[in-house]
Amino acid sequence: MDPTTAMYVAQGIHGLAYGMVLFLVASGLTLIFGMMGILNLAHASFFMLAAYFCYQALTITGNFWLALLLAPVAAALLGILVERFLLRKVHAFGHIGELILTIGVSLVILEGVKVFWGTESLPLRVPPILQGLVSIGGLDYPIYRLFVIGLALVVLGIMALLLYKTRLGMVVRAAVSDANMVNALGVNVPLVFMFVFGVGTWMAGVAGVAIAPILTVFPGLADQMGMDAFIVVVTGGLGSIARAFLVSIIFGLLSSYGVQFVSTLAPVLMFIFMAIVLVIKPMGLFGERE
Amino acid sequence: MNKTQKWILWAVLLTILALYPIVFGIYYSNVFVTFAIFALFAVTLNLLLGYTGLLSFGHAMFFGTGGYGTAIALEHIEGLPLLPAVLIGVLAAVALALILCPIMVRVSGTAFAMLHLAFGQLMYVLALKLRVITGGEDGVGGFPIPPFSIPGILSIDMTNPLNFYYFAIAVLGLSIWFIWYFTKTPLGSVMVSVRDNDNRVAYMGFMVPQTKAIIYVLAAAFAGVAGSIYALFQNLIAAGDGFHILVSFAPIMMVMVGGIGSFFGPIMGAAIFGIIEELTSRYTERVELVMGLILILVIMFAPLGFLGFLRYIKERWFGKRPDMTTTEDVA
Repeated sequence: MDPTTAMYVAQGIHGLAYGMVLFLVASGLTLIFGMMGILNLAHASFFMLAAYFCYQALTITGNFWLALLLAPVAAALLGILVERFLLRKVHAFGHIGELILTIGVSLVILEGVKVFWGTESLPLRVPPILQGLVSIGGLDYPIYRLFVIGLALVVLGIMALLLYKTRLGMVVRAAVSDANMVNALGVNVPLVFMFVFGVGTWMAGVAGVAIAPILTVFPGLADQMGMDAFIVVVTGGLGSIARAFLVSIIFGLLSSYGVQFVSTLAPVLMFIFMAIVLVIKPMGLFGERE
Repeated sequence: MNKTQKWILWAVLLTILALYPIVFGIYYSNVFVTFAIFALFAVTLNLLLGYTGLLSFGHAMFFGTGGYGTAIALEHIEGLPLLPAVLIGVLAAVALALILCPIMVRVSGTAFAMLHLAFGQLMYVLALKLRVITGGEDGVGGFPIPPFSIPGILSIDMTNPLNFYYFAIAVLGLSIWFIWYFTKTPLGSVMVSVRDNDNRVAYMGFMVPQTKAIIYVLAAAFAGVAGSIYALFQNLIAAGDGFHILVSFAPIMMVMVGGIGSFFGPIMGAAIFGIIEELTSRYTERVELVMGLILILVIMFAPLGFLGFLRYIKERWFGKRPDMTTTEDVA
């Protein structure tokens, strides 16, 4: 394979890996914001928090796999507490109430992280099996990025199965489309929503752990990713995992090829894409009019 | 309240404003200028959010454009007088609003908020990346501050903080007064009805998109005034203070903390934010932690903001039924 093609493929893999991590964050947000209609600006804070939890678990146990398992669950539990005791109470005031509350929560998490772990960026080592490069078809790929892509696909699969093949998923979809009706049928809808919020936060947590070894762990981690995830959810049209997946991949590739071709304007491309989509279709790329 | 009482109140207010820097000194008059800038900024956002029911996540772009407009104009045009410099900033914000408003008046709700988020971030990234014009992360700073002059009559040095205090308070106060006046005009009433029921307003023969566009441009223009004064005040405007997403969220928080129910709520909110920042930064470095906790507490326990809280106390303890006429501004 000639060098130019190799470069294109390498950039493609980078974009795909970023898109996959973005998808993990955005799909959690799709559940929370797109489906349940809760404007959660603290979503990316849980993402960052999971990365810190992973760092902490790794320094205590020394086992990356255990950290990968535990950190997202810890973040999800915290998310559930926030939903149960704070967010649920302000839902009646609409998006502005949630906006204020979640900005407050994200500020508290950000400052808390700075108090506990400081402001410098903490490096995170992955186990030897995920280090290095693997050669496929004459090209070298970093194993960890392939692992991230695989991890995201596994989570996507689990989510799809859960949402579309189980009774619980059916109840969730029904509760999203008409909460009152489902409540009247005897389902504990607030409990279901709490569970969905937890799952969404868990997915953000998985993403946080996945990105930590690539970017290192630092307090600014939440900013970029949170904004990008919101843009994905809005651009895709609220409330579908599959659309969020597609738009995440588009954005991942857009950013990696963007850096290559128009490096100064690369960060703008996503916003331009979103603006164009929303101007033409205010309900999102695949959204239908309400 | 009759006319005499009104005039006395105005006179007292003006005297307090005039004597404030002499009594409290330069440091606190600078704090007051910052408060006044954000009060105007919050009032312009309330014009959209409280009066017209449009939630914007990108109001900072007009603030930033106003600031950058003034700063860049003063940097490149030699001998530019003060008021034209402010006007250039305002016109830049108006131009941006005019470009955006054909798109923005068509959407509402989440799409409106998110489109503003997108364009706001677009402006932020552009301000960071177009280094030749905007100076990147350092922003535009150190430009000359021209004196306030009427040719042949007087020339007041604006680098003197006391003089600048009077200038800034005059411009910001007049702007706030103008917006208040605007909400009392017939067009202001149409604006409130657009929020309550835009279909019905359209049936009654008012042009909803055009009304929205006028309010949008007006809000942008005065946000531009706030930004322009901010740039002059700091002698610096950078992407972080002009276009950052938190600059967009700040007025929303001020409106909510002060109370979304009235014209003066946002001003109250700006004052509360100013006081909290001033006090907490003296005792602790964790200003944002305190801010976050306060936001959570406010939305949990006083969701109608400070003014709503006062109204509740009045109702509860002084046994008066809520006065229906006071809800005329914004319900």
